[in-house]
Amino acid sequence: MTAATMDRDEGTWSITTRVIVYAAIGAALYAVANWTTFAIQIPGTENVSVRPQYGLVTFFGYAFGPVVGFLTGFVGNVVGDQLTGWGAFTSWPWSVANGAAGLLAGLFATMWARREGTSGIIVAAAIVGVAATILGFLFIFIELVTQPELGFNAILTTEYIPTVIANSIAAAIVTPILVLAWEPLREQLGR
Amino acid sequence: MRASFSYLGRGSWLARRDPRVLLLVGLLFVIAVTQLRDWRHLGVALVIAVGYYALADIPWRRVRVQWLYLLIVVGVVATLNALITGGRAGNFADGPTQVLLTIPPFGAELTAEGISLGVTQLIRFGAIAAVGFPIAFAIAPGDLAVALRRLGIGDRFAFMVDLTVRFVPTIADEFSETVNAQRVRGYDPTARVGGPITRLRRATPVLVPVVIGSIAGAEDTIDAMDLRGFGVGRRSWYRHLAFGRRDWLVIGLTVALLFVSTWLNVTGQTDHRLLPFFT
Repeated sequence: MTAATMDRDEGTWSITTRVIVYAAIGAALYAVANWTTFAIQIPGTENVSVRPQYGLVTFFGYAFGPVVGFLTGFVGNVVGDQLTGWGAFTSWPWSVANGAAGLLAGLFATMWARREGTSGIIVAAAIVGVAATILGFLFIFIELVTQPELGFNAILTTEYIPTVIANSIAAAIVTPILVLAWEPLREQLGR
Repeated sequence: MRASFSYLGRGSWLARRDPRVLLLVGLLFVIAVTQLRDWRHLGVALVIAVGYYALADIPWRRVRVQWLYLLIVVGVVATLNALITGGRAGNFADGPTQVLLTIPPFGAELTAEGISLGVTQLIRFGAIAAVGFPIAFAIAPGDLAVALRRLGIGDRFAFMVDLTVRFVPTIADEFSETVNAQRVRGYDPTARVGGPITRLRRATPVLVPVVIGSIAGAEDTIDAMDLRGFGVGRRSWYRHLAFGRRDWLVIGLTVALLFVSTWLNVTGQTDHRLLPFFT
């Protein structure tokens, strides 16, 4: 049993009907989940609350490839912002960071996520999810340019580290759970 | 639970504009204000943004929570930033600072520069939000994808956004049905006991069935699209968009604002400044 990305035969970067539909579903799931938990986020801590739905971004990247991962994170965050009323561009660095994490999860999975057995899949999915989160969210340091009032240490301590810790926890737990749930269906569908 | 896009600005002057105008204005405005550092220049941008926001005619009582949340988030980040950097950021990074207060136990310094930077940041973010809210509330949900397509985004990406928007109510219903089904089995989604990991594990009885069910259901959509030859030729869109004179006027004014901001930035005339009562 492997956790191979499903469109590998069609090319990692191919944008097929399947990629479009899975990306749309991933983005809609992420947007709705963001919208439903909007009210319980802790004000003033910028995504510090642990959000289980973040695991969707790394899962869709891991299972369906980097294009689906990127679109799930990026479009899901944008549409979630539209749903909650922020508007598409208000927090665009965070949308891109989410997309980058999904993209990296897909890339890492494509490179080395062929693991046999349940424990292998759990470990691989968790490591891919955490690594993608740590690297993907480096993008928010673009706020040094977009909000020059912010210092590097301020972004590091008030935004990057809390967000990465919270999202890494979510990715490490939710990604393997979803991958394990998806595997039997993947085999049944012959992907 | 009913997730849908709130078209609160329906019928307003901005909602009657081509939806591409709202997207372009949002994008160009973000680029423009990102280049401004002087709080006076940003103040002017904020006034323009508030005027633009008023054209969307969004009922205040429906968005006051978002505004309050935004002000709290940015206010707290700006305060923390002021304390952590001690005002030594932006154009104040290498200069002396006026320490107003030293806060124990770590000796964090509240400086005139830090407060000025915080206020500057608050003004910028408020201006961006004022232009961003109409994108959320004054574009008909069905117009978003066609607007992206007509802005030059590829057919497939535009269709993917369209599909996402269409999936949202269905998936929200599935979330709701799954929560109710699990409640019958004794699941309590509102329980606040346990640490983050316990709470994460508590989310899986809802997350897993909804995600896997949605993926399984996607096969029908994929087959339907493939059978109709999706992606084999240029896609046509039912909704046609055309810029009017007022649309061009709004875009022209935004481009002018972008031009002025770029000029101020390039010529070094928009550096960070202290607030007037600190000079």
